[in-house]
Amino acid sequence: MTAMPLRGLAAAIYTASAFAVAAPAVADGIVEANVKALDPGDEVAVSRIPDGVYLRAVNDPDDVIWERLPEYRTRLAPAPPVHESVALRLGEDDPGLDVYFSLARTSERFYVRLRWRDETRDAMTSHDRFRDGAAVQFALGDEETSYIMGTGPEAPVNIWYWRSDANSVEDLAAGGPGSTTRLDAQPVSGDSRYLNGEKPAANQWIVVMSRPIATAGEHQVSFDRAQVPIAFALWQGKDGQRDGLKSVSEDWILVNLAAE
Amino acid sequence: MAVKRQLSMVMDLNKCIGCHTCTSACKLQWTNRNGREYMYWNNVETMPGTGYPRDYAKMGGGFDEDGALRLGQEPSAEDYGVPWEYNYEEALMTGTDPWLRPNVKPTWGANWDEDQGEGDYPNSYYFYLPRLCNHCENPACLAACSRNAIYKRQEDGIVLIDQERCRGYRYCVGACPYKKVYFNEEISKSEKCIFCYPRIEKGLPTACAKQCVGRIRWIGYRDDEAGPIHLLVEKYKVALPLHPEWGTKPNVFYVPPLSPPKIGDDGAPTAESRVPLDYLEGLFGDGVQSALETLTRERQKKADGGESELMDTLIGYRHAEMFKLS
Repeated sequence: MTAMPLRGLAAAIYTASAFAVAAPAVADGIVEANVKALDPGDEVAVSRIPDGVYLRAVNDPDDVIWERLPEYRTRLAPAPPVHESVALRLGEDDPGLDVYFSLARTSERFYVRLRWRDETRDAMTSHDRFRDGAAVQFALGDEETSYIMGTGPEAPVNIWYWRSDANSVEDLAAGGPGSTTRLDAQPVSGDSRYLNGEKPAANQWIVVMSRPIATAGEHQVSFDRAQVPIAFALWQGKDGQRDGLKSVSEDWILVNLAAE
Repeated sequence: MAVKRQLSMVMDLNKCIGCHTCTSACKLQWTNRNGREYMYWNNVETMPGTGYPRDYAKMGGGFDEDGALRLGQEPSAEDYGVPWEYNYEEALMTGTDPWLRPNVKPTWGANWDEDQGEGDYPNSYYFYLPRLCNHCENPACLAACSRNAIYKRQEDGIVLIDQERCRGYRYCVGACPYKKVYFNEEISKSEKCIFCYPRIEKGLPTACAKQCVGRIRWIGYRDDEAGPIHLLVEKYKVALPLHPEWGTKPNVFYVPPLSPPKIGDDGAPTAESRVPLDYLEGLFGDGVQSALETLTRERQKKADGGESELMDTLIGYRHAEMFKLS
């Protein structure tokens, strides 16, 4: 599959005058142009998609709209092991990896789009094979909540977990490591593309997850506030990653929701 | 892990005829459907052999000498054997296929090496080893679960996987050195022998034990001094755990097999047993020689017309005495 098909068609269909940023040239792999690097603790503003502008499909990973929104990069590192089963399997020289993300909202939905390099598409869960995965974690409270799966049941987190085998998103909550729980309501949806580059090193996953902003529920993150702490996790199926075997943000990134 | 009471099973390998009725009973009860088709919560292995899954004893897991979890690997689908079905309908009923054949090419399966054994005539030997979850006192599966999804029931020590908590990480699959936890690909969760707890709760023995043609299985509580488990494990010490060195403290025990003498080069019986003692000790630990001596002595008593509480127990006259479930 070539990167970003249908761009011309999509650009023609959309009344995209609200978006002033020129689309960057698309090469194989991760487009670095206009990507801003973020460190843990940095603040970032959610992008606003004007009313009347829609993605081709609700979670379209390569809609032209994404090229017109700011994209950020942040470093993910191997998660510190919190259980012996994880510690036993930790790779010694895992350098971590970069995740590229965009955050957007309309008046109705909140979107997260993730990209990352992955030489292998692991989209199967079997006896001895593990799937690629990605998660976005939101603190239900403020940034005092532990970015490592929340601080107990009193300061939990809401997690959107995309799994490659089903290409679907699970809406989860956790109050500390080992407590991840699937929520009764599942309002989060998602979609993905796996793009092959000219070289395997340029292969990448693109995942979009989104949820109606007006979702109620004890453990559903509220976007009706000024700021929400956000963090990311990626699982490399080829390396048997699951659970705490993952690459994670090293602290929250603070998303300003009010910004236009 | 302390529980209030511990259910336990003893199997007499001298009586197992390798008929697999236990396996069939278990499969019909629990594992012939819903992604469990490949699983044998109970299986019967020919020993010496590769076991099920293939070469499971080399896959690690359990605990080291310091009590720390040892890394274990998850078996592949081929290690278990990919289950196959036959085209009975097409070949035998409608006649639309001239051949009766499996839907996948069988290349391996549980007990694939059933008729191999070890040694050369006249000293070839084998015996059968039925295996199920050992409902260990120190379960490696439980220790390996990062979500506390595995628990050991206080009332009977049965080890269960909470299907609501399990997220299919498969640490337990690798951690069990007996490889008695299975990953269900259909539901992305792990499953295992439940010691037929719905039957136990009604006062019935497990399906594998109840259906056993050779009447080789006893079930009871470890603390029931009037029961068969105490008599075989504690009093006479003829029932031993499989691979005690793996550190999980199994609650399934085996009466090791006696065997005829090895035949020497001159054609005469030697003092060695056909099944080598060191092989049995490699499976059941240091207690094997003493157990075999006790069995030989008590068997002779009975043969001589005397009384033997041990032999009367091992004969298994009545199911009511073999299964003490209260």
